[in-house]
Amino acid sequence: MTSDRPTMIEFRDVHKYYGDYHALRGINGEIRAGEFFSLLGPSGCGKTTLLRTIAGFEDISSGAVLIDGKDMANVPANARPTNMVFQSYAIFPHMSVAENVGFGLRKDPRPKPEKARAVEEALEMVGLKGFGNRAAHALSGGQRQRVALARALILKPKVLLLDEPLSALDKKMREHMQVELIKLQRQVGITFILVTHDQEEALVMSDRIAVMFEGEITQLADPETLYRRPNSKKVADFIGTMNFIPATILSENGDTAEIEAKGLGRVALDISAAPPGKGEAPVVGLRPETLTLLYDDQKAPERETDGVIDEVIYFGDMTYYDVYLGGTDVEVRLSMRNVPGRPVLEVGTKVRVAWSPSALVLFR
Amino acid sequence: MNKAGGLRLYAIIYLIFLYAPIILLPMFAFNNSKVIAFPLSGFTTEWFSQMWADVQLFRSLKNSMIVSVSTAILATTLGIFAARASTRYAFPGKAGIMGLVMLPLVLPEMIVAMSLLVVLLAIGVPLSIFTIILGHVLICTPFAVAILSSAFQSLDRSLEEAAYDLGETPLSTFRLIVLPLVMPGIISSLLICFTISLDEFIIAYFLGGTETPLSAYIYGQFRFPARVPAMLALGTILVGVSVLLLALAEYFRRRGIAKTGGKDTGGFL
Repeated sequence: MTSDRPTMIEFRDVHKYYGDYHALRGINGEIRAGEFFSLLGPSGCGKTTLLRTIAGFEDISSGAVLIDGKDMANVPANARPTNMVFQSYAIFPHMSVAENVGFGLRKDPRPKPEKARAVEEALEMVGLKGFGNRAAHALSGGQRQRVALARALILKPKVLLLDEPLSALDKKMREHMQVELIKLQRQVGITFILVTHDQEEALVMSDRIAVMFEGEITQLADPETLYRRPNSKKVADFIGTMNFIPATILSENGDTAEIEAKGLGRVALDISAAPPGKGEAPVVGLRPETLTLLYDDQKAPERETDGVIDEVIYFGDMTYYDVYLGGTDVEVRLSMRNVPGRPVLEVGTKVRVAWSPSALVLFR
Repeated sequence: MNKAGGLRLYAIIYLIFLYAPIILLPMFAFNNSKVIAFPLSGFTTEWFSQMWADVQLFRSLKNSMIVSVSTAILATTLGIFAARASTRYAFPGKAGIMGLVMLPLVLPEMIVAMSLLVVLLAIGVPLSIFTIILGHVLICTPFAVAILSSAFQSLDRSLEEAAYDLGETPLSTFRLIVLPLVMPGIISSLLICFTISLDEFIIAYFLGGTETPLSAYIYGQFRFPARVPAMLALGTILVGVSVLLLALAEYFRRRGIAKTGGKDTGGFL
């Protein structure tokens, strides 16, 4: 856990306007030292803008950005203890790999051989040992990415900023680099801040995630909390898949509420951790993997509901079923692992669906 | 004859029409006759030695070199500023200002030459090589801006940000990153401005005063039929030098692209 670590970056009511456009609308929050932190959101939500205010590429309209306790208001980008890995990698095409990686050492007073050794070490760290003399433009996408990482890390910044660094790679390479980045971050212990629109990537890589919509941080939490206890329908919908089922609140008493969810029936819910009410029509959210199809004479550990399969989506290791619940028009998606002895069912099959009240999230 | 054949014939006639007059230049430069007419009467290098002995010609050549080199450097420098500003910054009246910068491209040179002459005489600036340079910078700058804008446009902005992020100042970023990457554009601009200035006639003739550059001098010599073969010899040398310069420029352009791993989208050769 990273909760006991000191604060590395602090946002105090940060606003950013581009003319009339309000790009950042009062950002507050802290990023801790040594944390792998992600800014996650759809395009245009302000996540890249926020990252660039840390780097110093964007001035803020009001508020403050503090790095390691120091207000960055009058500190230009070239004097901040941050380095950035750009989305396009921004590898200098007219230089060799070693010249790229050593670029930040130009003003370093150390003698040349020592700098060359530092470059070689940085290249080794990212798995590009012996690539120093290659021309930068002759590298593959994944190699460019590594050069960009080595170039940023050689200056030993307090914070490494990563602007969608994996979006240009193909799926296999991306998944490989995700793991590499996590390992690298543990090895160097530097605070990593990643901007991404890929919720899966954020969940895999981060200690904590700030989910942003329309210039605001909607929820800031660790991946598990975000996934299991999203604080709004927007977050729930953005991260993974969530079934929303209309409900009515029958009674509410402190930490518990009695609700009637369409297709599921009456349920008593613990709402002590539920997101605060926004005055919306109540719905309950359910993740696909919290619903299970019951085979043969299996019994549900908690609750069960009848259903009819409407759609079957086969994924190899998994099958997704869209199921109408309890003779209603409420359709939910559920996922089942394809294990031996558990055949893939056909459309129209009448099924029993097991679920657990504790997996329900109430939005209202 | 099929359609492709017809087009091929058209292309061949077109090329003959374009280049035949230039081939006539060396033919008559080596022809042993003062009369420029067929049939050729024999081989001689007399016109070249006559040209070589012409002191006045070397004076104009020197003038032309001063004018064209200065024009190329000044116009390209101004072009760098303008291209950088137009591709990187937003400022009020940008479209109008860029329009005014590019206007001499379509303005008849006649008008530029006349109005400059009137203004210079009115404010009492004596006509000299300097006034020619002034006029040439005016007409060459739009070409420089056009060439350099495309060079600056293709520059990824995050390259500059990366250098800045790695501790460089805006000035050293420009020197270490921007300048080397737009260098092919700068060289193209220098060469094209040089060429335009070298063979420009109207402004050179109007604003030249007593110091005539090469173009005005050649025009003057054509009034004496006896001098024409020597001028053809000069023309032959100029064609040779132009081909050499263009080939050199193209070589550097291709090498620049190969070095940065870019895709060759075709230059001027």
